[in-house]
Amino acid sequence: MIKKHRNLLRYSFDCLSRYRMRTAVIVVTFLMATTMVSAVLFTKEGLEREAEISVKMAPDLTVQYLKAGRVELIPIDYADTIAKVDGVKSVVPRIWGYAGISTYTFTVIGLETSSIPTYTTFGSIESGRFLTPEDAGKGNIVIGKLIAGLLNVKVGDDIILLSESVEANKFHVVGLFSDASSIYTADMIVMSIEDARKFFRMPDGYVTDFAVYVEDYEQPANVAAKMSFMPNVRILDQDLLLRGYKAAYGARGGIFVTLWTILLVGAALVAFSQAVVVGHESKFEVGLLKTFGFSTLDIIEVRLVESLVLGFFATSLGMVLGYVYAAYLNAPGLVDILLGWAFLPREFRLPVYVSWSSVFSIYAVTVLPLLITTVVPAWLNAITDPELAMRRAAA
Amino acid sequence: MKKICLMPIIAIVLTSALMIICMTNQTSWQYREYYKEIRYTIGLPSIAIGTNYEGTRNPLLEVFVRSLYDVPGGYDYVVPSSFIDTPLKLREYHESVPGFNMTIRRG
Repeated sequence: MIKKHRNLLRYSFDCLSRYRMRTAVIVVTFLMATTMVSAVLFTKEGLEREAEISVKMAPDLTVQYLKAGRVELIPIDYADTIAKVDGVKSVVPRIWGYAGISTYTFTVIGLETSSIPTYTTFGSIESGRFLTPEDAGKGNIVIGKLIAGLLNVKVGDDIILLSESVEANKFHVVGLFSDASSIYTADMIVMSIEDARKFFRMPDGYVTDFAVYVEDYEQPANVAAKMSFMPNVRILDQDLLLRGYKAAYGARGGIFVTLWTILLVGAALVAFSQAVVVGHESKFEVGLLKTFGFSTLDIIEVRLVESLVLGFFATSLGMVLGYVYAAYLNAPGLVDILLGWAFLPREFRLPVYVSWSSVFSIYAVTVLPLLITTVVPAWLNAITDPELAMRRAAA
Repeated sequence: MKKICLMPIIAIVLTSALMIICMTNQTSWQYREYYKEIRYTIGLPSIAIGTNYEGTRNPLLEVFVRSLYDVPGGYDYVVPSSFIDTPLKLREYHESVPGFNMTIRRG
C-alpha cells in the first residue's frame, strides 16, 4: 500500500518536469502575485503594530484648541484649568511644528526642559547628550539621523535654520539620536520650549498643545469627559490616535491588497486554463493509466500532489521574496503608496510584521484555488471511459 | 529520482524557512526596544513618517488642506486628497506655498 503511494508520488513529481510549460506559467504568476500581496500585508501590519506601540507611549490625552473648526494655539492659562480637573496627574505644555529643508519636512519640538527627569538615561542618544534644564533658551538642540546626514553635522557643530518669518536661527548640536531609534527620531529637532517659541515666533502666553497624563486609577476617557466644560478644546485620547493610524494604513493597504487579490484570481484562472489545456493533452495518458489499472482516486491523487507541490513552492517562495523586498530593500515603489505624503529617510527601516494569520491567509487564497482548478479537470478526465478518452485524444 | 524530487524538496525548505521567519519576526517584536525615555519625554505620538490623519504627527496635512482646499467644507477633502499625490512632488505647490520655501545650512 505504501509502495503504491510512493510510486504515485514519484509519478506526480515526474509530471512536474514533463509538463514544463504549465509548471512555469503557474509558478511565475503565483510568484508575482504572492510577492506583492505578502509585501503589502507584512508592511501594513508592521506599520499598524509600530503605531500601536508608539501610541501606547503617547500622553494619555492631548488637548488642542479649536477656533472655527481649525486647530490654533492654545492659551497657557488652560493648563491651570486642566490641572484642576479630577484625575489629572500632570499637564505638560508643548510647542512643536514643522520646518522644511529642501524637499524634506522636519518636526521641531520644544520641550519644557525643567520637567525633563534628571535621572533618565537616554539610550536613544548615540553621541553627545540630551537636553537639560540648563539648556533653556541657549539654542542647544538634539537632532535625528536624517538631518545629521543631510547637513553632515555632528555633535559640537552649529546649524542655521531659516524660520517661516525668514529669520536665520543659529542652533548648536549637543546630541544625536541613534540609528536604532530612527523610526521615531529620524526627522526630529528637539530644543527647549523657549527656543522653539523664538523659532516659530509664537506669542507669549500660547503653546501648541498640552500633553495630559492622568492618575493610574482613572480612565483617560472619563477624565476627558470631565473636560467637556472647557470652551474651544479638542481632546485626543490614545484610542482615537490609534484608530486614525489604523484607518490610514488600513485604507491604503486595503486598496493595494484588493488590486493584488484581483491579480490572484487572474492567476487562479491561468492555472485553471493550463490545467484544462494540459488535461486535454493528458487525456490519452489518463486513458492509458486507467487501462493499466489506475483508479480515479489514483489519478486525482497524482494531480493533488502536483498542485500541492506547485502551490507551496510558488507561494512560499513568493512570501520569502516579499519579506526580503519589504524588510531588507524597504519595498521600493510600494512604500510610497503605503506611506502617502510622507518621505522615507534612508536611515529608516520599514517595520515588517510577519503574522501567522497573514501567512495562512495567503496560503488559503493561493493553494486552495490551485487545488480546485487542477483537481476538478483531472477528475473529469478520470471518470471518462478509458477507451473513449484515448480515441478522443487520438482524434 | 533526485532531479524530479528537487522541486518538492525546495518547496518544503521554503515553507520551513517561511515558518522560521514568522517565528523569529514575532519573537523580535515581542522583545522590541520601545525607547520609553524618549517617548515619555517628548510625548509625540508617532513614528517618523506622516499619516493622512490630522490627530497624529502629520507634516503636511494642515498646510496642504489649508492651501488647496481652505474653502467652506474643505476639510471634507482630507481623505480624498490623500489619494491625489504627494504635495512635495507638485512643483508649483512646493515653489509657491509659503512655509515650504524655507531652507537650512550648516553654520
